[in-house]
Amino acid sequence: MTRVDNYVVAYEATERGNEAIELGVALARLTAAELRLCLILPRSSAVPAKVPSSIADFDALLEEQGRLWLAGAAARVPADVTATTHLLWADSTSEGLIEAAKQFQSDRIVVGAARGGILNRFSIGSVANALLHASPVPVALAPHGYHAPEKLTRITCAIGTRPGWEALLDSLVALSNGLDVDLRFVTLIEVDAAHGRPAHPKPHPPHVPHDPAAHDQAGHDHGGADHAGAAVAGAAALHDSSAHAGSAAHLVAVLQYFRTRSTALGTVTTEVGTGTSVEAAVETLGWLPSEVVIVGSSRLARPSTIFLGITANRMLHGLPVPLIVVPNTHAHPAPPTRVPPTPAPPARTR
Amino acid sequence: MAHTPSPGSTPDTSSLPAAGGLSAKGLSAGSIGLLGATVIGISCIAPAYTLTASLGPTVAAVGTQMPGIFLVGFIPMLLVALGYRELNNAMPDSGTSFTWATRAFGPWIGWMGGWGLIVATVVVLSNLAGVAVDFLYLALAQLFNNPDLADLTNNVVVNVVTCLVFMALACYVSYRGMETTKAVQYVLVAFQLLVLVWFSVAALIEFGNGAAFDELAFSPGWFNPFLVPDFSAFAAGVSLSIFIFWGWDVTLTMNEETKNPKTTPGRAATLTVVIIFALYILVAISALMFSGIGTGELGLGNEEIQGNVFAALAGPVMGPFAILLSLAVLSSSAASLQSTFVGPARTMLAMGHYKAFPNRFATISPRFKSPGFATIMAAIVAWGFYAVLRVLSTDVLTDTILTLGMMICFYYGVTAFACVWYFRAEAFASARSFFLKFLAPLVGGVILSVIFVTTLIDSTNPGYGSGSNIGGLGLVFVLAMVLFIAGVVLMLLQHRANPAFFQGKTLTKGTSTDR
Repeated sequence: MTRVDNYVVAYEATERGNEAIELGVALARLTAAELRLCLILPRSSAVPAKVPSSIADFDALLEEQGRLWLAGAAARVPADVTATTHLLWADSTSEGLIEAAKQFQSDRIVVGAARGGILNRFSIGSVANALLHASPVPVALAPHGYHAPEKLTRITCAIGTRPGWEALLDSLVALSNGLDVDLRFVTLIEVDAAHGRPAHPKPHPPHVPHDPAAHDQAGHDHGGADHAGAAVAGAAALHDSSAHAGSAAHLVAVLQYFRTRSTALGTVTTEVGTGTSVEAAVETLGWLPSEVVIVGSSRLARPSTIFLGITANRMLHGLPVPLIVVPNTHAHPAPPTRVPPTPAPPARTR
Repeated sequence: MAHTPSPGSTPDTSSLPAAGGLSAKGLSAGSIGLLGATVIGISCIAPAYTLTASLGPTVAAVGTQMPGIFLVGFIPMLLVALGYRELNNAMPDSGTSFTWATRAFGPWIGWMGGWGLIVATVVVLSNLAGVAVDFLYLALAQLFNNPDLADLTNNVVVNVVTCLVFMALACYVSYRGMETTKAVQYVLVAFQLLVLVWFSVAALIEFGNGAAFDELAFSPGWFNPFLVPDFSAFAAGVSLSIFIFWGWDVTLTMNEETKNPKTTPGRAATLTVVIIFALYILVAISALMFSGIGTGELGLGNEEIQGNVFAALAGPVMGPFAILLSLAVLSSSAASLQSTFVGPARTMLAMGHYKAFPNRFATISPRFKSPGFATIMAAIVAWGFYAVLRVLSTDVLTDTILTLGMMICFYYGVTAFACVWYFRAEAFASARSFFLKFLAPLVGGVILSVIFVTTLIDSTNPGYGSGSNIGGLGLVFVLAMVLFIAGVVLMLLQHRANPAFFQGKTLTKGTSTDR
């Protein structure tokens, strides 16, 4: 191997920083990567005050404190993971992290996302939020109170039907390359509780047999109906509606695409999560403590930067496990031909 | 250099060469041009706030010689600032009167130098907040056309609580490590300058129309500082002038941040002082011509309005546009209040670090990377000081400004002498170092000492300042003494609790030739 992967870990001497290290350790163990523990200090500028604000004194003390903090950070990393520490100055924390990722040619930025989130769930802090809007590399978000498992056993890929999902799969292929890890593909369906009745009672099997060829076409039924950049096939349907079936069928197409490329060694499964909201749909899926979720970024993002779509953002709030958001590197143009209109119920695009 | 935590003093774990492209220093290097530096200089001085707080007390001290005193008062400030710049260049790792004075004179005087700076800042914080409170209610009164609202500021409880709100907000912003963006600074400075010029022109037009409150014809003699009746008045005037230029020295020490460190700071400092001179002289003359120095309702000699002159003059001079002046002073003092928190907090942090203050002062917020505890302490003490004074004094703003003038003289004086002493071995090495490292700071320090001692003695008079007194001693004197004695007591307590700093274990005494 010519190059060892490395991950920038956004460290600060708080719970959030520790959670970032935990997630960094978990990911580093999975992919045999190294960690770059980075502490970003604010770059001072002249403060327009009557009293000299002693920038020099303060910066020297801050730097000394920063090194102590980083020593503490390094001590938190178990012996089986290689980590280096870095003290960096920048105008803003997210800017410093992105700069560090560029300098180190890092493959990922790991950040503790949560602050005061309820029940181990996400509530995104300002730094994580800023990263999600600007990072050129995937951003891994650690939930509140996260502890690294001995080994990550499953990667769940939440995937939408919008054009561009192939890019997410390509990065998943790269990530899981040769690894002994289970893979699970999920789509989420948001059903409209107010309307209740499925608009199209035409029966569809609730789960799709893992037979790619059979449902190749159906996968595109709702190509225009889901949310930008999100992992949801939104539909105002309750039971085994065409929306559900369409999502399931889409998963088949996903599987087919993935299997022709993947070299991962674990088992591959698919699931459809259904709920009255994105959060509820996330709840219906089972989650392991030893898993991470990977989603693509919104198509609203500029090329090669992340912009978390609305649905992915809401999904985050219901998620008890770490989330990796992958930037939209090679945006495929939308297919010019629309699939004949199966009269799908109007999507709820909140 | 055992005294400062230089970057190499702890093992550098960032050994990757890839990190080389990142700035190793905290300062954003080379980002400020001449205009930016000048804007920062003017922001530091906060002319709208400074003028409203100082015009009254200066007229009370020197009468119509105010323009002359403003010119003369700049001289000691300039002389000290020159020495200040030399210290800043020689010890780039440190940047406060505390560290410089400790390096030059050892721990005891160094401690008191740091104390003087902290006290001066705490006093100015309370004055800034007090002015902001007055102008908040004045602006509300002007906005809703209801003069009763302006009177709310005279209610002690309302006033003290509003002040607490201002303090808490400013403290929170500093604690979060937020800084005023350049764009906001530019707007605030432009707004202040524009409104102050407007005020002056409006006052002169009123004068021309014969509508001035107490017409006073201009006389070139106003520029002659030596027409001041006695030396006490002269000293008080100079002490106040130092207050009005306070902050100007910051431009001189902005080296690495400027696009051209060789020329930009000097040019910016010159440009700043030229603008400030022009503005101060214009406002001083127009205010004198409009209001006179009598003790009438709008007279600059009226003790009722002295602590906050623009609050009284805005309406009569600017009519319906008076609210602009209120907003200019309010924004100027609020912005200055917030940025001024940074100074004492960092000095206390440094003192905590060197064991000159209890350890808690050395804590840095892990989230915001700001001196958290020290910032909160500064806010509590400044507010407490204001609250006590508000109750004790009949004119809290005038008395705080007079106390402040004294405190600035003290710590500038200590810094000036620290420069002379620290560079004593190379004082006669060249003409440049003789002038900048020896003569200028020495003369500046001597002037400040004389001013300090004179005003201290004069302030024992119960009639000094607002006329408030405790046991027959002027309130300003009592305040100054309480602050100094509190400093000495705290110093002794700290010596008892942790003598390391006082034994020279954390910061060592030395001279410029030691290294």
